[in-house]
Amino acid sequence: MLSKREFLLAGAAVLALAACGPAANVDHVATGAAAPAFSVTDATGAVRTLAEFAGQNVILEWTNNGCPYVRKHYDAGNMQALQRDAAARGWTWLQVISSAPGEQGFLDGPGALARVQTEQATVTATLLDGDGVMGRAYGALNTPQMVMVNGEGLIIYQGAIDDRPSARPETLEGATNYVRAAWADLEAGRPVQIAQTTPYGCGVKYAA
Amino acid sequence: MGTCGRAALAWGSSACMRVSMVRFAALAVLLLGFFLSPSVSAQPLSAERQVQAALHSSRAAVAPGERFTIVLRETINPGWHTYWRNPGDSGEPTRLTWTLPTGWRAGEIRWPAPEAVPYAMLVNYGYEGEVLFPVEITVPANARPGSTVTLSAAAYWLVCSDVCVPEDATLTLSVPVAAQGRDDPEWAARVGEAVANIPRRQDGVNATIATGDPARLSVSLPNAIASRNIRFFPFERGVVKAAPAQHARVGAGGASFSLTPDLRPLGAAPLAGLVVYEAQEGGAWVRRGVEIEAAPGEAIAGTDDQAAAMSDDYLLADIEGGAEAASTPAAAEMTGVALLAALGLAFLGGLILNIMPCVLPVLSVKALQFAGGVQSGDARRHGVLYFAGVMVTFLALAVVLIALRGAGEAVGWGFQLQAPWVTSLLALLFFLIGLNLLSVFEIGAGAQNVGSRLASRGGDMGAFFTGGLAVIAATPCTAPFMAGAIGAALTQSALTTLVIFAALGLGFALPLTLLHFAPGLQKLIPKPGAWMERAKNVLAFPMFGAAVWLVWVLTEQSGSQGTIALLTLFVSVTFLILSSRWGRVWLAIGVLQLAIAGAFIWRPLVGVETHEVLVSEPWSAARVTELQGEGRAVFVNFTAAWCVTCKVNEVAAFTPRLADAFAGTNTAYLVGDWTNRDEAIAAELAARGRAGVPLYLYYPADGGEPRVLPQVLSESLLLETVQGE
Repeated sequence: MLSKREFLLAGAAVLALAACGPAANVDHVATGAAAPAFSVTDATGAVRTLAEFAGQNVILEWTNNGCPYVRKHYDAGNMQALQRDAAARGWTWLQVISSAPGEQGFLDGPGALARVQTEQATVTATLLDGDGVMGRAYGALNTPQMVMVNGEGLIIYQGAIDDRPSARPETLEGATNYVRAAWADLEAGRPVQIAQTTPYGCGVKYAA
Repeated sequence: MGTCGRAALAWGSSACMRVSMVRFAALAVLLLGFFLSPSVSAQPLSAERQVQAALHSSRAAVAPGERFTIVLRETINPGWHTYWRNPGDSGEPTRLTWTLPTGWRAGEIRWPAPEAVPYAMLVNYGYEGEVLFPVEITVPANARPGSTVTLSAAAYWLVCSDVCVPEDATLTLSVPVAAQGRDDPEWAARVGEAVANIPRRQDGVNATIATGDPARLSVSLPNAIASRNIRFFPFERGVVKAAPAQHARVGAGGASFSLTPDLRPLGAAPLAGLVVYEAQEGGAWVRRGVEIEAAPGEAIAGTDDQAAAMSDDYLLADIEGGAEAASTPAAAEMTGVALLAALGLAFLGGLILNIMPCVLPVLSVKALQFAGGVQSGDARRHGVLYFAGVMVTFLALAVVLIALRGAGEAVGWGFQLQAPWVTSLLALLFFLIGLNLLSVFEIGAGAQNVGSRLASRGGDMGAFFTGGLAVIAATPCTAPFMAGAIGAALTQSALTTLVIFAALGLGFALPLTLLHFAPGLQKLIPKPGAWMERAKNVLAFPMFGAAVWLVWVLTEQSGSQGTIALLTLFVSVTFLILSSRWGRVWLAIGVLQLAIAGAFIWRPLVGVETHEVLVSEPWSAARVTELQGEGRAVFVNFTAAWCVTCKVNEVAAFTPRLADAFAGTNTAYLVGDWTNRDEAIAAELAARGRAGVPLYLYYPADGGEPRVLPQVLSESLLLETVQGE
């Protein structure tokens, strides 16, 4: 009997191993799919979920204030301008900080609020994803990285902020901003034409 | 650093956790930069830079009109790295912007073989330590000997450890012009070596990329088996995900890699990049690379024999090693008791297979024989033959399986049905048996009664054949017990595999064989009579059922082309069988129509890839614009399943040669499928003055308006169009 059990266990192990694909650290969510639910504390200490924004258009911005690529967009006022335009269009703007404690870009609640002040950023909330759960669920690789979620909770754009993968400030000039491009499509009543791009920037400073 | 005011710190927030002296020093620099600058800026002031950069020339003096090579040398602090032309998951490559005297020209940076640098769950492509980037400089013919020119470059790079710093520098190099050029004694050799080690195309190194997720890239790299830390680096971002394990494997034929697609599926278009590995030269391991452009196609043989070697200090050892262990479970040979258990399970599984829906129709024909009244001597002989048929087929399959496994193929039970020609043949067979059972035709003249026919000497072959057919048909109905036994058998030695398969066969063959030998059981079957004709007709329908199912299998394998080809084959063969009884003229007509039909339909039936090689992506006007923007030629096929002209064109003209031409010219193939209503396609057709499909458009690579091709196509016309001239 033992031997049979032994065999069955061996068989099960073989099948289980065969069933496993390569282990993936970061999930990938397809554009057009439902945005993954999240439950993350924001800078004010409130727990924010995707569900509470149901029916609203939402922009997620992965950020790390020490990252030169993020600095390019904030020091030139480019990101702030985008945030103001988003607010004017009625979009909810969520900053997400997935840096682990001790890593570059990590901020506690007061720190994050102060940072929003310093940058003169216009955001609905800054989500503190220090354990990286939300970042991994969205497959966030870089800062800055943008995700646009429509009122039905579907991802309509994800990827880079624009088409200039560089930290040099002069590359802002003439860049095509993919968020603005998506707005233009939506306002023209057509589907988002460039719905996914390869993000660029610093790696998200997840806990190693 | 007792406490951490991390909220206020930007660059220095990683202060608390770090212990490394290097990082501490780097941090101090960054902190200094932070405090010195009034606001956090993109360019921290830093007393110490992470990269020292300089230009060096291979020539102490250059002659007018010559071309020579200089290098950008980056000396990177330990623990930091700069980036390859494709930075991987994050980062940015080094850039040079030249300011040159009139007439002087500088080429692009040439990139040495990079290494993969993991950080948390990201993998970046770049360089550590010292790296030399060659750049070719062209001296104008009118350069004045005796003068000295200054080549000036604004260099910019991003350098990262766990944080990133953009750095820049203005680099200059003085170059004396002389009537006779001469080498620089210090740098000529080093620059020469750097250029020699730049990865480039090598004759005889071919590569293919097969579709899939992960997609298999195979490269006929000589001596791959003696390399270590081998990995593929794509030139473009967004094509292959950087972080997933590639499970590199090597063999006598080269190396192969599992690539995870990024934004688009892999295997449709050529894939360019480097294969980078370490090779032993003069007793030391050195990093080398070869440039490849993989064409879509099947894997190259002999590239998949064993896992590639990794050194202990390989940076990706965790990523590649952990997953490697999971993909090839170490299969210990079974103990004797475990083997007995496996044999028992296999036997049970075989027994159960008899009542599986795939097998029952085949066996029911067998049962009918007994109703036909078989003499007991014949019955026993048939029993033995049926048994032999089952066992021989089972063991033959096991032998093929072992052979394939030995050749490194990833095979499992059911592989025999993975070949479209087997599926097609079986479907046709089941269909014909069904027709036969409906008495549409009889095999052998004068045999009026199926019972007596099967009981005749010809039944010997039939009995053996039934056994074999039953085994093949049983394949997809792998019983639960069998799955375990076969799974175990596949990880064992050849002998063990054979023994387990024999046990399976024994269990499978036993019930029906015993029926042949037990007159008592046979008596339970009613006496011959009119009911037999009806039973025969009824049994035709499980046969048709099996044929329907196999048609579906072929549809999954070869697509709708397979379906239509197989159904056409059914019609054509039926006509041939019937016409053969109507005289020679009709027989000739029958043969002729089968030959004509066969010429059109053989490809999907035998599994020659038609639409598989011609991988397309769905048409959209935006996609055409995007591809044109990339400087690619685009071929658009507006088609529909119900459009016969379209299908004839696709069979006749869209051949593997055209696929090669598409691949060779980097032409994108887009298909607008108008089978269902589609406003966008209707609008495009209208814009081209067409009310319907087919419509074929060719957008040349140099942009501009498309050429509208005729509605009836030939292969040669398409090849001329795509290849120009």
